[in-house]
Amino acid sequence: MRFGDILRLCRQNLWRRKSRTILTVLGVIVGCCSIVLMISLGQGIDEQNEKMLTSMGDLSIVTVYTNGGNGGMMAMGSGASSSSASSDVKLNDESVKSFRAIPGVSGATPVMNFNYNASVRAGSAGRYLYDYVQIMGIDMAQFEQMGFKLKDGAMPVREGEVLGGEWLAYDFMDTLSNGAMRSSSRGEGCMWNDDTARCEPYKDEDPYVQPIGAQLTLTTGANYNGDPYTQRLYGSGGSGGASSSGGGLGETQNTTADYRVTGVIVADYNKGFATSDGIVMDLQSLKALIAKVDPSAAKQRTANYDQVLVKAQDMASVPEVESQIKALGYETSSYEDMRKSLEEQSRAIQLILGGIGAVSLLVAAIGIANTMVMSVTERTREIGIMKALGCYVRDIRVMFLAEAGAIGFLGGLIGCMVSALISLGINLAGMTYIGGGMAYSAGGSGSGSDSANSIWTMVWQAIVGGDDVTRYSVIPWWLYLFAVLFATLIGLLFGFGPANKAVKIPALDAIKNSE
Amino acid sequence: MAHDVHAMAQPKTRPIIEVRNLRKEYPVEDETVVALERVNLAIPQGQICCIFGESGSGKSTLLNQLAGMEKPTKGGVAIGGVRVSTLSERELAAFRQKHIGFVFQSYNLLPNLTALENVAMPLMFRGIPKEQRERTARAVLKRVGLGHRLSHYPRQMSGGQQQRVGIARAFVTKPEVVFADEPTGNLDSKTKSEVMTMICTFARDFNQTIVLVTHDPQMAAYADRIVTLLDGRIVSDRTNQPALSLSAPSQPSVTRPQPDLSTNQGASR
Repeated sequence: MRFGDILRLCRQNLWRRKSRTILTVLGVIVGCCSIVLMISLGQGIDEQNEKMLTSMGDLSIVTVYTNGGNGGMMAMGSGASSSSASSDVKLNDESVKSFRAIPGVSGATPVMNFNYNASVRAGSAGRYLYDYVQIMGIDMAQFEQMGFKLKDGAMPVREGEVLGGEWLAYDFMDTLSNGAMRSSSRGEGCMWNDDTARCEPYKDEDPYVQPIGAQLTLTTGANYNGDPYTQRLYGSGGSGGASSSGGGLGETQNTTADYRVTGVIVADYNKGFATSDGIVMDLQSLKALIAKVDPSAAKQRTANYDQVLVKAQDMASVPEVESQIKALGYETSSYEDMRKSLEEQSRAIQLILGGIGAVSLLVAAIGIANTMVMSVTERTREIGIMKALGCYVRDIRVMFLAEAGAIGFLGGLIGCMVSALISLGINLAGMTYIGGGMAYSAGGSGSGSDSANSIWTMVWQAIVGGDDVTRYSVIPWWLYLFAVLFATLIGLLFGFGPANKAVKIPALDAIKNSE
Repeated sequence: MAHDVHAMAQPKTRPIIEVRNLRKEYPVEDETVVALERVNLAIPQGQICCIFGESGSGKSTLLNQLAGMEKPTKGGVAIGGVRVSTLSERELAAFRQKHIGFVFQSYNLLPNLTALENVAMPLMFRGIPKEQRERTARAVLKRVGLGHRLSHYPRQMSGGQQQRVGIARAFVTKPEVVFADEPTGNLDSKTKSEVMTMICTFARDFNQTIVLVTHDPQMAAYADRIVTLLDGRIVSDRTNQPALSLSAPSQPSVTRPQPDLSTNQGASR
């Protein structure tokens, strides 16, 4: 028998019992939908995790520290993978050089944090104050290699030139108006605009201080406790705050230094808080500052670094770079561990969700088996006739398997289409009501384009995703393929028993003169 | 009487159907019931042979053995020299496709296929393309007078028409042997003779061998030879002058070469 003939017979037989076929297919559709949607939710979690990690900063950064040092500087110190390294290893210029030699490393820089209280004033007569400012020293020669980016302005070249954190301008308070501050949304969130029918970024207030070219006067000291204005404002220091702890040394001199901001750096929390709200200066300048502030400790402080940032070429080479550095006796931490645990977590969720989906597909499969058993029972006589007329047993089996497989295939195909629609609905609902998705066009000027255009943009983003869109349900192309194949396979599997039953019907049954 | 079978068949060539010392018993609870015992039969090519008997005489059992539907307890059946009872299921299917046709009492047409598709079905099992097999089937259906009913379904036809479709289906492959099991059992007397005439005409035209199983003496009258069964034994075996006058040549088997079934059967695998 030709396969085309078998398929034709199979189609006729399915069509003959329309309602039963449709109901069975419906069962498979529901089963397929549930499994696809459940997995798509898991995929959505994956995508959200990935987005969250990316928003945390540069994921290809490995933080290196020694056993004694404090590596807990990381914004989320989850992955403090500790190997018992000897405390003898030192982080110095030599070790930074050796890190750069590791294959897969694109850059490495020591990171020094200024460990004394410091405050900066800007504006005429130092009107604007930013107390307890963070200062970070890096190797400016490695700026590009480390993946730092300038948001605006230029790199510092001369002595006394520094970079400001991205949101540094908003950290100043006005000492003449009771410590008022200017606010910024820091590029997060959006506000729904009814006129343009889209979610637009907040309009920030103008900062007190224009960062580029700002002249900063920095005040610090070994026992400096912050600017007197702040202490007055919050009443923390009481009287003569500077001398509160200095028992033996007595009055220590505060140091001041003038700096000029030449550029603003793009915030990246994974490279240090100072990139967002602090001051970033060259390592040598910072060393000089420390020498001025605390000459006694400077020698020991500046020879060895607290931590070194190493940038891998890409995220994939992070584990290899990490293990190489660990082999040298250092401690490392990166987002790799966190990524792993997030991945495991979402895998577990996906398994559970997939399991729930699988149960309903199993029910559908039992439906297929039931339909096929009934079909075989009804067609006992027909099968006997076919056998008596010389139909091969194999053809009869293939015929029944084809019917069962067709039910599975149809259900899988339609189920995939329905899931695509439901997934679209979930995403659109999520984008509209929960937020997180912003459908504004690249230019940001929404006044020109009409709202219908933005709806299509939204639909498009709900399907394929986008940089600023949260999708709750993500269906990758392989999931469709898998679902259709799986449903077909389930159909074949559960059609196998009934098909075998059909095969065993003897030709004799047809000849018996019943009816 | 039963032992004279070989003598009277005068086999110049080998008979197309040979039954040797056949015995069939069925277990019924603790006892065994013997349905056939020591049946010997040789049917030459082109003969219309009637197996006649009351119900329970074992005639249906004999037909099942002949067509290879059941395995005999003892003895054997050979069709065209092929021992049917030794064939595997697949070989048996191939053998039926090539050499055997069936006409059933209850027509046994597939309800979801049209007349044309029902007739073309045995050819479909052989893997013959749709156009070719439907051309053949159409010609045979025209011959049985149903050229205008090609796309009718069985439920849209009368019993006589259905049986004519059944006959067309049995003869469409031009088989050497056609088994007809009470082909007129469900029909009225006028249609009965129509159907019998049709079967016999086909058989004469293509020198086909018919094994007709019936309990109706009127139907048996159409045969060349009537073998009577009683309690599983052949009790009489006589030639008959067929009621149908168109059966002019008495021994066509001599004039036509007998096809070599064993090679055909091998090729179909």
